[in-house]
Amino acid sequence: MRLRVVLGGLGALVAAYGAYLLLSRQDTDQLVNAAVWLVSGVVLHDFVLAPLVLGLVYAGARIAPPAARTPAAAALVVLGSVTLLAVPVLGRFGARPDNPTLLDRDYRAGWLALAGVILLVTGVAALVRSRRVRR
Amino acid sequence: MRLPAAPTEASFSSRLRSATVAARVGLWLGICFGICFVTGLISHYAQNPDHPIPLPTSPSWGYRVTQGLHVITGTAAVPLLLVKLWSVFPRLFIRPPKGLRALVVEALERASIGVLVAAAVFQLASGLANSAQWYPWDFSFRTTHYSMAWVAIGALVVHIAVKLPVIRGALTGDVDDTTYDRESATRSGALSRRGLLRSTWAAAGVAVLATAGSTVPFLRKVSVLGVRSGDGPAGIPINKSAKAAGVTASAVSPAYALTVASGAREVALSRDDLLAMTQREETLPIACVEGWSASGTWTGVPVRDLLDLVGAPRDADVLVTSLQERGAFRRTTLQGNFADDDRTLLALALDGDTLSVDHGYPARVIAPNRPGVLQTKWVSRIEVL
Repeated sequence: MRLRVVLGGLGALVAAYGAYLLLSRQDTDQLVNAAVWLVSGVVLHDFVLAPLVLGLVYAGARIAPPAARTPAAAALVVLGSVTLLAVPVLGRFGARPDNPTLLDRDYRAGWLALAGVILLVTGVAALVRSRRVRR
Repeated sequence: MRLPAAPTEASFSSRLRSATVAARVGLWLGICFGICFVTGLISHYAQNPDHPIPLPTSPSWGYRVTQGLHVITGTAAVPLLLVKLWSVFPRLFIRPPKGLRALVVEALERASIGVLVAAAVFQLASGLANSAQWYPWDFSFRTTHYSMAWVAIGALVVHIAVKLPVIRGALTGDVDDTTYDRESATRSGALSRRGLLRSTWAAAGVAVLATAGSTVPFLRKVSVLGVRSGDGPAGIPINKSAKAAGVTASAVSPAYALTVASGAREVALSRDDLLAMTQREETLPIACVEGWSASGTWTGVPVRDLLDLVGAPRDADVLVTSLQERGAFRRTTLQGNFADDDRTLLALALDGDTLSVDHGYPARVIAPNRPGVLQTKWVSRIEVL
């Protein structure tokens, strides 16, 4: 218990130092903007992404054939999270006409190839599972 | 028509949403955040002009490794954080307890979780956007990402302190153990708990393979989502072009002269003067805060030789000024130990060819073990502080 109290106190101090750094080094407009981003992340996760995943899982459980459910769920974890982290490159929002070395891949083709490989593995796994069940 | 009732904790029945899953994913998430925090501190310190404790100049690839790790572990943390949040999502709907004391404790814990989640999501989202040079915000990225790192790591330590008994129990027991499960978490679904964990590790692995080629050369071919292919003039990508820096005219002007100054002594050198000096060749990496890096063979004049022309003392910090007219890194400090290192060059050529204007023609700094933003391009003045 003592360890936990010390650890908790230490964590609170470190976090408070971060808050002090944040508040003392920028003007009000920047702070308001940072606050909007901080709150938006939580709101987007809790009220957009999480319900979306719930809906996908609900639909998948009813549409997908039984043998495909396990591979499909694994594919959702892999492809879903990798797609989300690829948003900045897929949108090429930071691309600049004066710098051809930045964001210089064909990201849509890359994503399609990646999704293709994941879906292929999912399909093969589903097929293997359905054969196993029939035997 | 009646609206459906708001969900409660009991509405979530999957047995995958368990502390045994959350603790295992959380352990690796914590490790990733720890590596991100330490490597981030190194990068932040390296970019400070003053180094009360000097940073070592060796190994020359040190910053390349720490900053590469920073972005790689941050990227791997995205699937880990998503699964972690999924596994504990029902806790968001726990009804407030009765009794003032219990209510206060619950509110405090919720607030600390809120801070942790907000900070964690913010760090990963802003870091990923920065690695793709996308800045859709008005705050200073460096200041905010740095401050929130302290908030995130502090809130994480608080979270570990609060949950320590559960974490210990969940990690030492079997993954299918139900000791810490919520009452309603009994329905088995498409995946087993082990299956969900394996999928999560696979997602983190795919995330790394798909992006790390920007800094790990042998992964270039498979990193289809990497921010750089690694191509560029002389095989090195560019962060800021001459056009973006506004130096397209001044960099190629025949009137260009480099000023080297120490106290009252000052010399002016044209590019031909620099080429006439003893040249040295060094293989050194460019490693940027965005996480990409590439190794190049640079040829130029050792900065120490230039400083000797004006009788500059050893171990003195040096101010390097660029031709560019704006930007936070127009002026950078080259700390004494870096200025004196034999490998620190004012480079005139890359890979045997004259430096391209986007790589810093007529002359640029290249030093070992330093962030790319400090490898000042289009150098116009070198001055002992």
